[in-house]
Amino acid sequence: MLRRSLVLLALVTAGIGFAYVQSVEAVPAFARQYDLQCNVCHTRPPRLNSFGEQFHMMGFQIPSAARPGGLGESIKDKGLAQTILDTLAFRMEGGIFESTKSPHDTESKFVPPEEFTLFVTRPLLPDLSFFVELEAEPNAVVFEDGRFVTRAEVGLGKEAFFMANLGQVLGLIGAPTMQMGNQTMVGRHGGFTMHGPMLMAGKIDPSTNFSYPTNRQLIAATETEVKAGEVERFPVVPYAFTSKFFGLFKDRDEGEPQLVTDQVMYNTPGAPGVDFHAMLHNLVIDHPQIVQVGFLRENEGWNAYAAWRVDFGERDQSAFSVSALINWGFGVAWAPDPTDHDRPSDRRIDRLRYGVAANARWKGLDVYGALIRDQVFDLPSGLGGEFDRTATGLTLALDFLAHEQVMLSTRFDQLWAGGLTDQKEDGSVLSFQVKYFLWQNIAFFARDSVNVRSTVEHHPLREWRNQVLLGIDWDF
Amino acid sequence: MKHWWYVPLALVTLAVGVWVTNPPALRANGEDKHEIEEVGHAHVPAPLEYADLLMPPSVWTDQAMIARGKEIYAANCAVCHGEHGDGKGPAGQALPLKPSDFRDRHAVAEMRDNYWFWRASEGGTVEPFKSRGSAMPPWKGTLSVEDRWAVIAYQHTFSGHQGPHVPWEHPEMVQMGRDIYRMACVSCHGLDGQGDGSVGPTLSPNRAPQPRDFTAGLFKLRSTPTGELPTTADLFRTVTEGIRSRGGPLTLGLSGYRIMPSFRHMPEEQRLELVEYVKSLNQGFWTRQDVKTVPVPAPPPETPERIARGRQLYADAECWTCHGRSGRGDGPSAPTLKDQNDFPITATDLTEPSRFKNGATPQDVYRTVVTGLTGTPMPSYEDALEPDQAWDLVYYVLSLSSESHRASGVAR
Repeated sequence: MLRRSLVLLALVTAGIGFAYVQSVEAVPAFARQYDLQCNVCHTRPPRLNSFGEQFHMMGFQIPSAARPGGLGESIKDKGLAQTILDTLAFRMEGGIFESTKSPHDTESKFVPPEEFTLFVTRPLLPDLSFFVELEAEPNAVVFEDGRFVTRAEVGLGKEAFFMANLGQVLGLIGAPTMQMGNQTMVGRHGGFTMHGPMLMAGKIDPSTNFSYPTNRQLIAATETEVKAGEVERFPVVPYAFTSKFFGLFKDRDEGEPQLVTDQVMYNTPGAPGVDFHAMLHNLVIDHPQIVQVGFLRENEGWNAYAAWRVDFGERDQSAFSVSALINWGFGVAWAPDPTDHDRPSDRRIDRLRYGVAANARWKGLDVYGALIRDQVFDLPSGLGGEFDRTATGLTLALDFLAHEQVMLSTRFDQLWAGGLTDQKEDGSVLSFQVKYFLWQNIAFFARDSVNVRSTVEHHPLREWRNQVLLGIDWDF
Repeated sequence: MKHWWYVPLALVTLAVGVWVTNPPALRANGEDKHEIEEVGHAHVPAPLEYADLLMPPSVWTDQAMIARGKEIYAANCAVCHGEHGDGKGPAGQALPLKPSDFRDRHAVAEMRDNYWFWRASEGGTVEPFKSRGSAMPPWKGTLSVEDRWAVIAYQHTFSGHQGPHVPWEHPEMVQMGRDIYRMACVSCHGLDGQGDGSVGPTLSPNRAPQPRDFTAGLFKLRSTPTGELPTTADLFRTVTEGIRSRGGPLTLGLSGYRIMPSFRHMPEEQRLELVEYVKSLNQGFWTRQDVKTVPVPAPPPETPERIARGRQLYADAECWTCHGRSGRGDGPSAPTLKDQNDFPITATDLTEPSRFKNGATPQDVYRTVVTGLTGTPMPSYEDALEPDQAWDLVYYVLSLSSESHRASGVAR
């Protein structure tokens, strides 16, 4: 009875939302800046299509057509107020109703949307742009005073960075350069050309240029469940990019555990760092290549990484890309104390991460996946055989635009976990999602994630069978 | 979220970034400084008024034309360009901008025929050659069009190339446009220009408009008669303005609804280069002759009488069957409309000029009425309406929207 009432209330809430959005006049920032439909850059938001990836890669500029005067000219053209308005966008994303089935009971409840985000972003000059997210999370999970708690958080969001095209700098030191659509490009027509290198610095997630990017249809993570200061259930996230090891700690002083589902290095909630990426044409092969190197903070250590991507296709309504990633994390986590696994030792570990990703698009189909392997080093000798030093994550996703307004998605996440052998469990999750786009920038979704392995009592990765989430994704 | 210090760090780095990325202006378009200043070989596209003045491909290998060109060259050009086309004629040595060396195969391969014809016609009287000190006289008043073709065909022989001087023989002549196309257009229009990039199927799934197939020769937005290829200026206008659309779920709150971006911020010469590459994807652009456009006369004053006559024409020509009685695109035939690919296509909502694909000024609407939109159910009324009647219809169509909507449609 209670569950039926809750479902009814969820539908009423969605109905009210439907009525409300019809009067909304705001739109996402880039769509307004360029007077473009969302679909020009997104297969359906938030997943970027090839053009959107190019737009992002070029510093949020229409490829080969950057506004020559940048911000100043925009203010002259549109006025200060309109320019400010066009620089802002708002997003509300996450669940409105959630039901979780465990071996013991079924818990159904209303949940507030996970995130309210204000975007402030635009190109400032043809070769310089910025992107800032300010975020409110009603149910953020934070670690304080030695325990996990859930509370509302407001602050900087996933990303806050500027992006600058350093092509002109290369020109100053002698590289041949060209002006292409008011941006500087290195090289010569008919021969090798390079757009960039683009410098992206601030709080960043460099994965947008990877074949398995952050922006995807099944983007909302299920809720992290916290009880009595402990994490009772991990969220379902792409396992390929999680920390993967049980028993590690983020810091030594507070002893904050590194959750095995924390996304690190790529596909992250963002971390301070510096990223250089460039798109190369006519280098050995006649296909565009993106090369990327950078440094990224992780906990009390830092990462050095390199990635490479090759694009094929753009024929027969199809495109294909493959990517490779290699990363060395210097002191990115603390190993557990060999004598007390609930406390960090005095040893920081290094981590080698490497893997591949691919993406194939054909008509309404979009398939993408990543296989990422991690290996840790510098463990305390006392851990001996108690710690599995390697772990692997696999994530495979498929989106299908079944109808102009309906996106079907599925994702399989497989974790071959590493870490303390007395804690570690592998995980396998299959998720499905139906997303209905009322407008291009307003969507309702229903999602179901299934733990396809046996449930394990009192284990946060496996103590559940099924999680249903009704949610909403509004971008204004 | 607790690391607020990212903000000042990002701002400081931002300031450094502004400083770093604002060095002095660099050379444009990959031109070599030596080529520009000393040889005068500059990769600038011919202006729009010359862009469609193409030499028939047969002229390049027509021995009679080449012989005729040789005589003209000897009499008029050799004094500067040299008897053997090496740019070392006796009068050319003292010139600040050295005459072109036609034996330079690389440079000649990059010169499009409309560029060559423009140079022969205008000489050094136009920019950028004028300010670089070009002393070349304009030959358009002295030599007929055919004489200029003949002398160009002869000059071409110095390069040693035997075939016609066309893009499918010399891809170099559209290389810059190709590079721009690969950056900006390929994801929708596809690598080979067949409109089969990966974006089209999700942009407007199973309905019109789909990205244009440049190889098929069907172009909607033209100033030429129905069924013919567009002019260079038509393509330039589309690249500049982008394309608005209606149909399918929209982005809430937008008024313009572009599905093809406007490339108005791309420098004009690069837009021209891009258009030249697009033209190279269809040989018809190079083999056609006598590019005719449907004339758009000066708009007459808008009067209530004219609008009333237009209303009657709208009824008599049965425009309402697609566009609806009130012009909202909801006529009885609207749900059945298909384009040339058999995709459903919406009838334009005439009350929203900001979404007119072919522009919203009275001249734009006139052009749409008289040329039609090839590949769509919108026919050409060139033969059915006198110009004055077409203007009546244009003003009636524009009267269906409010003044503010008309103004915003034109402003875009």
